[in-house]
Amino acid sequence: MSMFYIHQTVCVSAQKTNGVINLDDIQPINDNKLQAIEPNYDDIPPAMYRRMGRAVRLASGAALPLLNTLTFNGIVIGTANGGLEDCIKFLNQIVDYSEGKLTPTNFVQSTTNAIASQLAFFSANKGYNNTHVHRGLAFENAALDVAMMLNEFPDNSYLLGGVDEISAYQYNIESLAGSYKKESIASADLYTSKTTGSIPGDGCTMFAVSKQKVGAAAKLKAIGTIHTNKVEEVTQYMNHFVTKNLGSDTINLFLSGENGDNRHLPYYTACKNIVPNVAVERFKHLCGEYATASSFALWLACYKIKTSNLKNVLIYNNFRGEQHSFMLVENA
Amino acid sequence: MSRIFVTGIGIISPLGDTLSLNHTALKQGVCGISTLQLIHSNFAGKLPVGEIKTETNTLKEKLKVKETGYTRNSLLALHAFMDAINDSKLSNEEITSHNTALIGANSVGGMCLTDELYKDANSKSQGSEYLSSYDGGSVTLAIQQRYSMRGIINTINTACSSSANSIMYGARLIQNGLATRAIVGGSDSLAKYTINGFNSLYILSDEICRPFDSERKGLNLAEGAAFLVLESEETIGNKKAYAELTGYCNANDAFHPSSISENADGPFLAMQGALQKANLQPNQIDFINTHGTATENNDEAESKAMLRLFEKVPAFASTKSNIGHTLGAAGAIEAVYSILNLTEQEVYQSLNYKNPIQTIGLVPVTAYTKLPINHVLSNSFGFGGNCSSLIFSKA
Repeated sequence: MSMFYIHQTVCVSAQKTNGVINLDDIQPINDNKLQAIEPNYDDIPPAMYRRMGRAVRLASGAALPLLNTLTFNGIVIGTANGGLEDCIKFLNQIVDYSEGKLTPTNFVQSTTNAIASQLAFFSANKGYNNTHVHRGLAFENAALDVAMMLNEFPDNSYLLGGVDEISAYQYNIESLAGSYKKESIASADLYTSKTTGSIPGDGCTMFAVSKQKVGAAAKLKAIGTIHTNKVEEVTQYMNHFVTKNLGSDTINLFLSGENGDNRHLPYYTACKNIVPNVAVERFKHLCGEYATASSFALWLACYKIKTSNLKNVLIYNNFRGEQHSFMLVENA
Repeated sequence: MSRIFVTGIGIISPLGDTLSLNHTALKQGVCGISTLQLIHSNFAGKLPVGEIKTETNTLKEKLKVKETGYTRNSLLALHAFMDAINDSKLSNEEITSHNTALIGANSVGGMCLTDELYKDANSKSQGSEYLSSYDGGSVTLAIQQRYSMRGIINTINTACSSSANSIMYGARLIQNGLATRAIVGGSDSLAKYTINGFNSLYILSDEICRPFDSERKGLNLAEGAAFLVLESEETIGNKKAYAELTGYCNANDAFHPSSISENADGPFLAMQGALQKANLQPNQIDFINTHGTATENNDEAESKAMLRLFEKVPAFASTKSNIGHTLGAAGAIEAVYSILNLTEQEVYQSLNYKNPIQTIGLVPVTAYTKLPINHVLSNSFGFGGNCSSLIFSKA
């Protein structure tokens, strides 16, 4: 299936990716987290801003520059957890006040679709509006959704986004699950740590996409996903994906979602070995690990294509060694 | 584009855990709404809800679930999923094929486990068995893992319209050649979380709900799950098809986080778009399965949207009066009820209705009626202005 062209992007992350971009000045891991630098919120009315949870805020800050200058036929968001912080705040009210009289603000903000709908309210956008929450493949499904919309309506354009927040509650749950490193670690040591767990991150990336080639920054040529915990199934899938979508062309850069968790390393090593002579770059030391981190990777691929004049970039990412995705990004 | 047929159905609701039990209860006008029993809550023994009166552990035993981390939501989803694949007689090879997609939907995920989540999120425990079961994706992943499914897997959450959107997404995967078969639907279990959430918005009724009645007092929350097997025209072979999915549309009301606009633009655009997709004129719709939650706002707004779109509003009813509002499962459960309208050529009465909304004057179907039906429109509208409509047609 043909995918789409990416025209404009906004990336809110722990790095200098929003506004003046500078990836050489690496922002360090702080308190064993890579929290996104909050964007400018001048366009959000203060009363509205105060009600927003972190995920809605990050997404609004990332989307508003695009919503203010472009028109979209719909908004599609991938987020595994949406506003989990608001969700637990409301849950805590339920328990702490024994189901008494509760204020609904946190409840309304906690629904995962509050992000896409907030963006629709901002821009009075009555078009297609969807929210994908399939954990580590939430963003990939959102991208597929947009691609299918564009196949049906080739003249349209859509706002596509990936966002997740790291809140204290999320951190507690994932820490108990063993998702994060127990020892403190610096960015430079993430990939040599040889221990379990990664570094939590958060952020939001927004893409203005359409079928129009003229003026495009990059093209998402293909996307493929698979659920499995078997390394050989992943490599088999990658071989098939590359053969089918790349033909005789070559990959200039392999963007690997390696995250410093030694349990996930075998997948990344095996996939890297399929394209042995290709330059490899990793990105989780920049954005941290979160369910929609692949949206950061897609932004990074677009940026690298532009700044290093590359032709083809292949992104491989997996979440918890269970949900795997491949994205082939091409110079437009 | 390929035509999409429904070849399998699985459903569990307050009206029963099989398609046939649901059908009989609808036909007899049974109301599955009763007082909350199985959740430890201040609302237990008081609040009317559409509760499936089977304990979570009993469901687990029935489905032979030995895995840890299964929530009530996952169990309801699995129950409906298993019935759907059996009904469509799918082989293991077909279920695990790269061409078989699974698209789930829900709005509460594992948040039905209020106390466990409270402890895990606030670091008041050593970690429960549910650490990876709170998010919406966990429900679909539980099924994917149990069956080692390899096709496109997804979970959608657009609040109360979630599973209408999972049905749409599955259909579009087939039409775009990304799957030949999609198992689509949704689930939600009752939860202290949603009970208190809807209560804080003052939209829960303390009586059994009365959709489209002038004296309606709000909605009743409910639980359930439904999955449909969608197959392309080329894949279905000699299989019996229940119905054809001919139209669908998703639009946003872009007005308010928890209520619909005066002109009901979202509902209007969703219904209008579904008609366009199905290439049908409004007068070709024989019956509307409304969203009809029985809140002050929804029923009036939905009525206005119907009056805007239809010169003569077709027969309509709300099965929320039979089972309550199953949130993320509603779109799929009501898709099943809409399909029953088609296969049985009959409509089921909206219960507890007495008088029309004064400013509107529309009257729902109030008695079980045999009716020639070719096309049914089914509405699902959610918080955040997320409105979706589906059209099922006689196969």
